[in-house]
Amino acid sequence: MGFILRRLAFYLAAIFVAISFNFIMPRLMPGNPVDALFASAMGKMPPETLAAYKEMLGFVDGPLWKQYFVYIKSVLTWDLGPTIMLYPVQVTDVLAAKVPWTVGLAGLSTLIAVFIGIIIGTYASYNRGKFVDSFMPTFWAFVGAMPQAVTALFIFFLFALTLRWFPLSYGANPDLDPAFSWTYISSILHHGVLPLVSMVLGGIGAWIFNMRNAMINVLGEDFITMAKAKGLSSRRIMTHYAARNAILPVVTGISMQIGFVMAGAIFIETVFNYPGLGLLMFKSLESRDYPTMQACLLLIVVFVLIANFIADLLYLWLDPRLRN
Amino acid sequence: MTESAHQPPALAAVQSNRFGLVMKKYLTAIARFYRGNPTAIMGTFIVGSLIIMSLAAPLIAQNEPTKRVARGHQPPSMELLFGSTRSGKDVFSQVLHGGRISLTVAFGAAALTTVIAVLVGISAGYFGGKVDEILMSVTNIVLVFPQLPLLIILAAFLGQVGPLIIAVIIGSTSWAWGARIIRSQTMAIRNKEFITSAEVMGESKARIVLVEILPNLISIVVGGFVGTSIYALMAEAGLEFLGLGDPTVITWGTMLYWAQSNSAFIVGAWWDMVVPGMAIAIMGGGLALLNMSIDQISNPKLKTGAYIKIWRKQKAQMIARRARS
Repeated sequence: MGFILRRLAFYLAAIFVAISFNFIMPRLMPGNPVDALFASAMGKMPPETLAAYKEMLGFVDGPLWKQYFVYIKSVLTWDLGPTIMLYPVQVTDVLAAKVPWTVGLAGLSTLIAVFIGIIIGTYASYNRGKFVDSFMPTFWAFVGAMPQAVTALFIFFLFALTLRWFPLSYGANPDLDPAFSWTYISSILHHGVLPLVSMVLGGIGAWIFNMRNAMINVLGEDFITMAKAKGLSSRRIMTHYAARNAILPVVTGISMQIGFVMAGAIFIETVFNYPGLGLLMFKSLESRDYPTMQACLLLIVVFVLIANFIADLLYLWLDPRLRN
Repeated sequence: MTESAHQPPALAAVQSNRFGLVMKKYLTAIARFYRGNPTAIMGTFIVGSLIIMSLAAPLIAQNEPTKRVARGHQPPSMELLFGSTRSGKDVFSQVLHGGRISLTVAFGAAALTTVIAVLVGISAGYFGGKVDEILMSVTNIVLVFPQLPLLIILAAFLGQVGPLIIAVIIGSTSWAWGARIIRSQTMAIRNKEFITSAEVMGESKARIVLVEILPNLISIVVGGFVGTSIYALMAEAGLEFLGLGDPTVITWGTMLYWAQSNSAFIVGAWWDMVVPGMAIAIMGGGLALLNMSIDQISNPKLKTGAYIKIWRKQKAQMIARRARS
């Protein structure tokens, strides 16, 4: 229990650092930060809305600590005001509409990449020095070093634009009404294939690499020699003895990767015009919509912290030594 | 007095001899690193040739990267090896010249990251106690922050940032993981006898850290440097692709940005996009190969290649002998 409480306290501290960071950043901008921040909103918003808005983001008259508390209050009450690019839609409403798409895409692609990576990594490490072992990590290292935007554009060009196998944009057919029906769900799946493949391609390499290294360390242990001496089949040793133990550090490494996955989503959703958080972030970058941008960052930080907490719980479950 | 008059040449001889010995030690270490290690050789070859080609860009490429030399979007040909951009510039020349800045940013950011990681990691691991506690809570908080999204927001707030600023913000946000690994290694070394003896002999803290501890961490530090270079290369390209960089500077990232804003793929000018993309992939892949072979030094269990082949051969011979007898 102490372990979980300690971790929760740490995550709370991390969230406050993130909020403070968001608070400080616009104030570090050169010139008059408030006007620069709202330069793109000029003419779009009536002056009184702008004034109310500034107040909500903590740009009130008064000492800095007072501004800080006003800002923290508006974040904690999840009241982030209207967006600039889609004024007068609320930031929180826009985010709520985008989150499911990205969570689905990022979550599913991470699961697939981890699964494939673990299988190839296990197989490669068990065939040390043979063709699979020298070819696979090298090949995927090169694929992983390709900028994700280029991979995505290439896939987009080949399968969507030239071969016309998959749709060019959106998360689902815009003519269909969102409903829990087979036509709508199959449309979502059809639209999701290419973004999913692009995200998986970028991630696999790291997992193969991690799994292979973890496996090699485990394969040197005495209990593997013992299992071999008992005459167990090499398949059984590979899956039940080595991989079971090597998986632990690899799975908990997922939480570290969430930040990179979210960054990948920015590029891939932009290429496929996929209606998720990444595309929203890209659009807010383009239109200099700082409130939306900051809300996206805050949300991503929260996602990463949740993923870390799940990893902690997983560790606790997988490694009994931590329970005391 | 006579003795001290004699000493300098003798000392010089000892020192020059010592210098020779140290050089020999390093050369043997380097030779041992490459022997029977095709991964390391290939990685060095790829990284080395890309660095040399970028450095020699003005000699290799005939055209200025910023000069209009052809009509827009000409396909690759004998005159224009990689075709031309939308505005009629030589892609081959651009990719060579762009490499100079992209690689400088990648290595510069990695160097900054490594310096911070080493300082934080060794201080926390060696001094322990309060120092360790404070440094590690900062490190852990930085570690859970999603680096790339943070980088993107920072760049967006700073406006269109030049290569130098990109290197600085990448360097100052990505040191946490390295610092943690270096700390745990330092803690493992810290209680070894040679450190205790150095402390008893009254060596200064700076000397213990720099001369006694750091050389034992060299493979981890170098591995971290190479790994961060890959990340920095990709992060820089990503930032510039999103239009957050300075689009007037030619780098691999801004080449991608211009190719994308001119819809290179859609109009069929694939070379405009693929050439800088492949340059990044090849450089990143080469660095990854180097990283794999450096990992084998810090963790010899990971060794493959010639060693495994020799071992396999001997095992087969042994089995054959047994079968005969």
